[in-house]
Amino acid sequence: MDAYLVAILTTAAVYVILALALNIQFGLTGLMNFGVVGFYGVGAYTSGIMTETLGQPILLGMLAAIVVGGLAGGLVSLLSIRLSGDFLAIVTLGFAETMRLAFNNEDWLTRGPRGFLIMTRPVIDGLGRGATAWFILGVFVLAAIIVFVVLNRLAGSPFGRVLRAIREDDLVPATLGKNVLAYRLQAFVLGSAAMALAGSLYAHYVQTITPDNFTTQVAVLVWMSLIVGGAGNMKGAVVGALVVTAIYEGTRFLAPLMEFLTPTQVSALRFIIIGTLLIVVVRYRPEGLLPERIAPRSRPDPVPAAG
Amino acid sequence: MQLLLNAIASAAILAPAAIGFTLIFTLFRYTNFAVGALMTTGAFAAWGMNELGLPIWMGGVFAVVFGAGLLLASDRIVFEPLRGRSGGTLLLVSIALSVIIDNVIRFAFGTQIRAFDLPLRPPLTFAGLRFTPETLWVIGISILATLAVGALLAFTRLGRALRAVADNASLASIRGLPVPRIEAAGILLAGALFGLSGTLAGLDLAIEPNLSLALAIPVIAAAIVGGLGSPLGAALGAVIIGLAEELTVAFISAPYKGAVGFVVIALVLLIRPQGLLGRPVERK
Repeated sequence: MDAYLVAILTTAAVYVILALALNIQFGLTGLMNFGVVGFYGVGAYTSGIMTETLGQPILLGMLAAIVVGGLAGGLVSLLSIRLSGDFLAIVTLGFAETMRLAFNNEDWLTRGPRGFLIMTRPVIDGLGRGATAWFILGVFVLAAIIVFVVLNRLAGSPFGRVLRAIREDDLVPATLGKNVLAYRLQAFVLGSAAMALAGSLYAHYVQTITPDNFTTQVAVLVWMSLIVGGAGNMKGAVVGALVVTAIYEGTRFLAPLMEFLTPTQVSALRFIIIGTLLIVVVRYRPEGLLPERIAPRSRPDPVPAAG
Repeated sequence: MQLLLNAIASAAILAPAAIGFTLIFTLFRYTNFAVGALMTTGAFAAWGMNELGLPIWMGGVFAVVFGAGLLLASDRIVFEPLRGRSGGTLLLVSIALSVIIDNVIRFAFGTQIRAFDLPLRPPLTFAGLRFTPETLWVIGISILATLAVGALLAFTRLGRALRAVADNASLASIRGLPVPRIEAAGILLAGALFGLSGTLAGLDLAIEPNLSLALAIPVIAAAIVGGLGSPLGAALGAVIIGLAEELTVAFISAPYKGAVGFVVIALVLLIRPQGLLGRPVERK
């Protein structure tokens, strides 16, 4: 049970980073990135290739993941950043699907559907089994805290205010002489780099990655985290990720109660529940559990862009 | 030539759904990503009837009715309460809906790959082209359906009313058109087209619950290429996507067929954001 809890918390830390990353893109800036898994996967594979194929230390793997993830984010956003919400969403979705195809087919690089084995782990040598798990959890929580602190500071800074202004109405900051495109690009690159970092951590944790780890369903979980937690609020993103992980992992315990169902059916049922909850939250509480809080007086309409 | 025939066969599968997608977009201004899931549902509905021993064409009719009903039901339950929300929100909701539908199918039918009960026949050859009788059926039915919907929109009272509502719902309402009923008719029509496309996809490809994304992206790409809002454009867009897919298979690599839709969308949005036959959309 103890080991299971540690495993759930470790996964939760990865989702916290993903939700925070999406929050800077969507929550603050209003950029709809449905290609979360694309950047997440790019980070995972980059890090794996760096440490396994090229034999570099794990920190270099993470760094490479962040750089490549940021570059990919830059390219995708250059293609599509001028587009309004829906089209950006579709382009990013297409990007994620294309990356999944690449992971599946570029066998020489990613070992395709057989899976990429990653031996390097973010631990010091000589720890016992349990201690290793706790150590990894510690590393992940630390990474999540760092991402939180950095992004939270950014969100409160003048930079974050410009992003929010762009989300509300990009004509206003443009009129004030802000380069809206550059701000959007920066927000997108930052978020993508953080998603890639999450992917790197995940890869070194699970140690075998296959293209199936990076399907749209993961993106739905991340979006669910952000919407449930409260788009625009960094604390909300953290709470949302924890709640969604709790629901997702918690429904695992339903399986023994429903022995008449096959594992496929149980897994399908979990996603039916998650999808339904997402729609219900969007309808009845679009501002999420922790709504974005901004100095009063500044916004007469308390419904964030998610609404 | 063989390539062209294959491209037209791919386009025939996409075209009805792309027209349906465009119809929903013009009526309600949102991207319904669930189009892939609805097509998959259509394929399963037709396959289910076929399994029960009915001929495939009856399965197809059932899929059309089922698709229409399902889209109307999903609109009433999910989308109608959210009218007026931003396009992004509705897209998010439609992706969630898509995940739900996929998993309902997975729940009910498992992850096995299915196929219609078709007799195995050697492909026909004609003027050096190889094709199966099913391919001919797919192309023929698709062209008929496209022409019928085009005629419906262009020449009938319902078509005129649909275009009026899509153009300006409040103006149409002032002029005495029963807007909710016309919208419902549009939704039924789009759903029927999704069901039809799903059946055609089932005839040509394997039927499995993981089909949704592979179907949704090319359909949406076809609609965008054609210029959202133009049914003729959507059909033309389907031909272009089909051609691009077959060129990819022939000259680049078959597995990357799935990336074609994305690349084409990106190109069109960069070069000609209003699509081939669309008019520029004013900003806000």
